[in-house]
Amino acid sequence: MENSFKQTTSATGCLFVGTSGYSYTEWVEAGFYPAGTASRDMLPLYAKRFPVTELNYTWYQMPKAAAVERQRRQVPAGFRFTAKLTRTLTHEVDPRKWTAQAAEYREGVAPLRQSGQLAAVLVQLPPSFSRTPAHRAHLAALLEELADLPLAVEFRHRSWADDRVFAELERRRITLVNVDVPALPHLFPALDVVTNPDLCYIRFHGRNAQGWRSGNLQLQFDYNYSEEQLAEWVRDKIIAMARRSKQGLLFFNNHVRAQATENAQQMVRLLQQQGLMVNKV
Amino acid sequence: MCTYSSPNTLPRAIVHLNVADFAVAVERVVDSRLRRRPLIVAPQGAGRAAVYDMSEEAYGQGVRKGMLLNQALRRCRDAAVTPPHPERYEQAMADLFRRVRPYSPRIEITDHQGHLFVDLSGTSRLFGPPQDVAARLRKSIRNDLSLDPIWTLAANKLVAKVASRLVKPVGEYIVRPGEEAAFLAPLPLHLFPGIENTAHQRLAEFNLIRAGQVATLSPAQLEILCGRPSPDLLCAVRGIDPSPVRPLEQEPPVIRLDHNFAEDSNNPALLAGALYRLVEQAGTRLRKQGLAVRRIGLILDYSDGKRTERKAALRPPAADDRRLFQAAQVLLDRILTRRVRVRRLGLICDRPAPAQTQLELFDQPRAESRKQARLLTALDRIRERYGEGVLWLGRTERHIEVTKVVEHACSAVNYN
Repeated sequence: MENSFKQTTSATGCLFVGTSGYSYTEWVEAGFYPAGTASRDMLPLYAKRFPVTELNYTWYQMPKAAAVERQRRQVPAGFRFTAKLTRTLTHEVDPRKWTAQAAEYREGVAPLRQSGQLAAVLVQLPPSFSRTPAHRAHLAALLEELADLPLAVEFRHRSWADDRVFAELERRRITLVNVDVPALPHLFPALDVVTNPDLCYIRFHGRNAQGWRSGNLQLQFDYNYSEEQLAEWVRDKIIAMARRSKQGLLFFNNHVRAQATENAQQMVRLLQQQGLMVNKV
Repeated sequence: MCTYSSPNTLPRAIVHLNVADFAVAVERVVDSRLRRRPLIVAPQGAGRAAVYDMSEEAYGQGVRKGMLLNQALRRCRDAAVTPPHPERYEQAMADLFRRVRPYSPRIEITDHQGHLFVDLSGTSRLFGPPQDVAARLRKSIRNDLSLDPIWTLAANKLVAKVASRLVKPVGEYIVRPGEEAAFLAPLPLHLFPGIENTAHQRLAEFNLIRAGQVATLSPAQLEILCGRPSPDLLCAVRGIDPSPVRPLEQEPPVIRLDHNFAEDSNNPALLAGALYRLVEQAGTRLRKQGLAVRRIGLILDYSDGKRTERKAALRPPAADDRRLFQAAQVLLDRILTRRVRVRRLGLICDRPAPAQTQLELFDQPRAESRKQARLLTALDRIRERYGEGVLWLGRTERHIEVTKVVEHACSAVNYN
C-alpha cells in the first residue's frame, strides 16, 4: 500500500532485534535453550542472545511491580523490555474501570521505567477494533491517560491505515507499529510509516494465512521467513525507517518451534550487511 | 512426600479455573432477575435453614456460609433467597468439564463447587502457551455458559489455588516458574488451603501471620510451635506441592457425611451417638467398595457460626466401624474445646487404600478381629437388603430420624 504521509528524517538510528516473548518450553526442544532448561532460567539465557524482548504476559494479567522488578534483575542493565498493555484496556474494556486499571498498569511497569529499561508499551488493539467514532474516542482517551509512557500502537484492522491517523500519532509522538502479516482481508497492511522520531517498531507475525484465524496460537504463528523475504523488508522499508528514527525495535512473533529466534538472528545479519547499527548483546 | 525444597522435575503448567460463588453464579444464569439483588442460596421453609452460598454483595454485608437464614436476612435485608439445586450445579460442572476436556487428559474436579485443575504441561506445541489456553478457556466458558471463571497459572496446584483466592471474585494471575516463594511470602496464611485452625492459632500467637515468616522456620522449629510435625505446612508456605493433577477417573473416593442437629447441643452422649451414626454409614460404604481409608477428619460447626476441624492418619488403613469410631472419638475430644453448642458435625474419610486382608499376628486379637468382621458383614448385608434404618446400635437411636446425610460422591457424575 502506497501512503502519502510525509515523514520527518533524522540520523540513522540504532536497531534492537528480539522476539515476542522468551518463555516457551518448546524452544528447549528446538535447541534454542540447552536441554533441561527450566522456565525460570530462560530469561538470563535469552538475554545472552538478544538485547530486547516483548513481555506478553502483561496482556493476560496486570503487571505487578514486585514481579517485574525480580524479572528486571535477571538481565543486564542494558537489556530492554517492551510490555503489552493489559487486555482490560484494549480488548475487554469496562468503561467504569479502565482509568483505574491504567493507573494500576503504570504502577506495574514502574520498575522498568525507573531503570530506563522500558523501551515501549505495546498498545495492541483487537481485530474487531475498527475505526468507528466510539473506538476513536476510547483510543484518544487511552493515549491521553498513558501519555507519559513510551507508547507504540498496533492496529489490526485495516480501517486505521489512514494518513489522518498517522498525523495524529505524530502530533502526539506516539509510535505506529508496522506489521508483517498474511495478506488477508481487513488486516492492517505492511507499511513503513514512522510517526515518532524517537522510535520505530516492527512486528513480524508470520504469513500463515491458513492458521491466522484458527484461534490457536500454535497455528497462527507457525511460519518461517525466508532469507529473501527478510532481505526485502530490510531493503524496501527498514533502511528508510532507520533513517527517520533514533531507535528501532524489531520483534519476531512466529514463536512456534523457535522459528522466531532463527529469523531474528537472520535479520541481525542482514541489517549488519547493510551497515545499519544493530544493538548486540 | 514434601522435601522442603523444590523438586527437580520437569516444569509443570497447572491452570486453576474457579467460578466464584458457584451456586449463585449458576442460579443467576438460570434466572437473570437474580442479578439485580444480593442473593442467598438456602433451603426455604425450614425453621433452621442454613446459608448454602451467597453472592459477593451479600458477603459484603456479613452473610456467611452455614449461617442461619434468619440471621443472614437480618444482615442483608434486601437479599433474594433461592433454594439450592444440586442437580443444576452438577450439570454446570459437567458443562465446564466438557469445555476444558479437549485441552488436557489431566483435569481434576476437586469439590463440584466450580473448581477445576487443568494440567497443561507439555501441551504448548499443540495448543500454544498455557496462559493463552487459560484465557481462551475463560472466554469460551463466558460466552457459552455465561459463567466468568477466575483463572490462574502456576507450576503446581497449591500455588495456583492460592493465586485464585488472592484475586477472587474475578480476575487472573500468572505465577511464573521460580517465583512461587516470592509470590507467596507476603500473603496471609488464611489464603492457604488445608491449614487447620489450631495451626493458625498457634502461629498467630507468635505473630506469624504471613507465609514468608513461616517459610523461614526449620521443621524442628515449626514442630515446636504447632505441637507436632507439620511437613505439609512447611512445603505449602514455600510453594512446594508435588501432588499431581488427578484425572477424573483416578479421583479418590472421598466420603463426606454431615449431621445437622435438630437442636444445637453440647451433650457428649448426643454428639458421640451422632458421630457413631456417621461412622457406621461411612464404614458401610467403604466396605462395600472394598476400601479402607488412611485418614479421617472431623468438622464441628458451632451455634455462633465458628468452625473447627481436625484430621488424623489411620495406620493401618481402616474400614471397620470400631476403629473408625475410636479415631473419630479422639478427634472429637480434641476439637470440642468450647462450651458453645454444636450445630453440625461433619465426618470426612479420605486417602483410600485397598482394604486390609492380612490377618493379625496373634491369636487373641485375630479371633476378636474375625468376630468383629463377621458381625459387620452381617450388619452390612441386612442393611443392604432391608435399608439402612432397619438396624442400628442403641447409642445412635436418637439420631436415626433426624440425620441428614449429604454425600459427595465425585465419581458418580457422568462427564461424558
